[in-house]
Amino acid sequence: MRTKQEYLIRYKDGNLYCELADIWIDPSKPVKKALITHAHFDHFTFGCEEYISTKETAILLKERVGDNIKIKTFEYGEEFKINGINISFHPSGHILGSSQIRFIFAEEKWLISGDFKLQKDQTCKEYEIVKTDYLISECTFGLPIFKWNESNKVANDISKWITNSPEKTSLLFCYSLGKAQRLLNEISQTNFKGNIYSHGSIHKMNKSYRELGIDIKDTIKIENKKKIDELKGSLILLPPSLSKGSYLKNFKNIQTAFASGWMSIRALRKRSGYDKGFAISDHADWDGILEVVKKSEAKNVFFHHGDSEALSKYLVEKESINVLLFGS
Amino acid sequence: MSLKKFSELFGDLDSINSTNNKIEVLKNYFLSNDPIDNSWAIYLLTGKSNKRFISGRYLKNLFSQMYEYPQWLIDTCYLKVGDSAEVITLLLKNKTNSRKKKLSNISLNELLSVTIPALSKLNEEEKNLEIKNLWETLPEDNHLIFNKILTGTFRVGVSIGLITKSISKLINIDEEIISHRLMGDFKPSIDSYEFLINKNINLQELNSKPFPFLLANTIEDKIFKNSLNDFQFEWKYDGIRMQLIKRLGNVSLWTRGQELVNESFPELVEKMSHIKDDFVLDGELLVWDFKEQIPFDFSLLQKRINRKSPTRSIQIKYPIIFIAYDLLEINGRDIREIKLENRRIELEKYFSKWKIKTENNISDIFKICDLIFPKDWTDALTYKEKSRENNTEGLIIKKKTSIYSSGRKKGIWWKYKVDPMQLDAVLIYAKGGSGRRAGLYTDYSFALWKDKELIKFASAYSGLTNIEIKELDKWIRKNTIEKFGPVRSLKPEMVFEISFEKIQISKRHKSGIAVRFPRITKWRKDKKINDADSLENAYELMKKIS
Repeated sequence: MRTKQEYLIRYKDGNLYCELADIWIDPSKPVKKALITHAHFDHFTFGCEEYISTKETAILLKERVGDNIKIKTFEYGEEFKINGINISFHPSGHILGSSQIRFIFAEEKWLISGDFKLQKDQTCKEYEIVKTDYLISECTFGLPIFKWNESNKVANDISKWITNSPEKTSLLFCYSLGKAQRLLNEISQTNFKGNIYSHGSIHKMNKSYRELGIDIKDTIKIENKKKIDELKGSLILLPPSLSKGSYLKNFKNIQTAFASGWMSIRALRKRSGYDKGFAISDHADWDGILEVVKKSEAKNVFFHHGDSEALSKYLVEKESINVLLFGS
Repeated sequence: MSLKKFSELFGDLDSINSTNNKIEVLKNYFLSNDPIDNSWAIYLLTGKSNKRFISGRYLKNLFSQMYEYPQWLIDTCYLKVGDSAEVITLLLKNKTNSRKKKLSNISLNELLSVTIPALSKLNEEEKNLEIKNLWETLPEDNHLIFNKILTGTFRVGVSIGLITKSISKLINIDEEIISHRLMGDFKPSIDSYEFLINKNINLQELNSKPFPFLLANTIEDKIFKNSLNDFQFEWKYDGIRMQLIKRLGNVSLWTRGQELVNESFPELVEKMSHIKDDFVLDGELLVWDFKEQIPFDFSLLQKRINRKSPTRSIQIKYPIIFIAYDLLEINGRDIREIKLENRRIELEKYFSKWKIKTENNISDIFKICDLIFPKDWTDALTYKEKSRENNTEGLIIKKKTSIYSSGRKKGIWWKYKVDPMQLDAVLIYAKGGSGRRAGLYTDYSFALWKDKELIKFASAYSGLTNIEIKELDKWIRKNTIEKFGPVRSLKPEMVFEISFEKIQISKRHKSGIAVRFPRITKWRKDKKINDADSLENAYELMKKIS
């Protein structure tokens, strides 16, 4: 067995790092060269000399943080070389442009899953099964209590939730990039035909999605001084950061909900402070993680982004898969 | 009507915060369902059926066994979810998706009056298979309700008051009447539901039932601005609040939890049935120290509460007394609408009559509460402080002109409780919470100094705000020394002010003391662990009080 230092990719200062190529993956602090799996802010930091991502991720990032970053882009599946290592992006099904990253060096394959899901999502490319020797997977929802319902079922629940309270304004909180567009896409296929408003941050992302060829229902950008009566019976999409504090005072007679995988647990739903929780996630559930681990044919698996104790033990005991631990 | 409707109702009630909306949802449910299902719904929602058919542990074991699922994995999931019924419900989603069996569409009534009772007649193996079969034939949406009923953990944020209000709205009859009808042991049946929604008020049927209890509010400063003469002062006893009813010759004892407890206190029922008049008394049941004329500790009363048909020797060992503070009805006349001061006159009048005229001596089991007459508010405070000496919790202050309404009505009765005892203690263990607090460390153990060692002396769950709980949870995760299952031992660093009601010697505890109702009253971030109290301080406190 090799020591941790000898792995092609390892954990360094809390981030994934490939020493041979001197390249970091989704680093949380400024570095020379950063591979970016997708455009969520917890996977991106300012100040890197050079970023490398898919074309879609680059466009979304620039829309969010401005043009002032140096970013090199590649198509899904297109291989490029750094210090003799072959690197390529592959769809991860998380959000538009999101990717897994594969490294091949001396006939050894490494795959970083990035954030991923297997569920159907019409707003991004479907997860691609990539074979590998070493898999580094996220495990945000790595317990068997997480089992997602079909997204159209959730959308129907949301539609019912709105139409059952026609005298109210329904505020649905969700991440402005990815989740919001997926929800809009799903909700537009339900019986709910009322007005949909969205917060500026979401509105902006909708526009980018459309420009990248994704069909997203048109929404009205919410202005702070909307007439209250106009909003009755309609749906407003807002980022979770606005759920606390004075922003809600702009509205009257509201009901609130949060769309997140965590909402499948009653205690979390109650504690969240929202009236209602809809369990829908852009991460894989337990079955999804297991499926990816198996189909990747990886002999060695690392987990990060989540509580991996139970998942690791299960894979070792039930599937005889070698689960390794990163030294940090 | 299917179980599905009830599952939907549960989901709605669980996610609606506004009381008015809850009432509306309930009203609509009652309107659109069968009387029999409605009666079961009321039965479940008011928490009257917390009968446990199997334990949460049994449910988890059963799932593990039936689906060859590792027990440790279920336990890990439980830590995140905090409720056995919900964990199994979530895990079942993985198991029943590909099922081929035809789904059943049974009613709430069928489930509760046929299916579940039938389970207890089966042997263990048959029972297990039947539960599995039910899991696989009940629609997924109903699993949570089913598992919760099985494990006796069905609870939702609906008070009996809310049910009362929605029925009252449904049939347009005063809440008091509905509340009265809902008192006592509501048995689910078409008849009981129809009685509940009967628009004609039948006095006969209401005969054995207690009145809704009037409850005291915590004292507010503004009351001290009033004249002392406007109020009646009584000791606040720490017993079982009860209405003692004698109508048409029959005596019934009703607790505030709406339980009929005649069987636990037969000597009281027997003695009171000799009184010639009919009446409804509001008062407190206590285990009484006849020598000192003060109540014994609540722990002695506990020895009587859960024991039905107590033997003669138990009756002698733990002698009870009923202390009446109010007369609500006399010989069929409801006097709740007359002023308290006049009701008191009536109470005293009848008590003296009964003492003399009743054949058996009743004063060894029944008395009326003594009144206290403080000179001014400062004097009232002195009385309150002295209340520990006679084993009471403080004072009850009642407005003399008030009528006996129901519930915790503002501005009528106040409780003026003696300040709790306090010690500053060091947090040493934490355990994951359950229910709403699942996934957070919310059960804490605290220690006091003994020489240079910290000795555990109390556990507490309540008293911190949600923000503090989250903050402390973070700290706990970073400062764990060791994990033992769900419990973590912690670096001794945090000091908390712990308040409690009673302190006494206990051989069961390593510390040698036991406290009652311990709770966190302050996070003493200003204190270092060396500033925390010692066991010696606790013993001194105990001495001071006894």
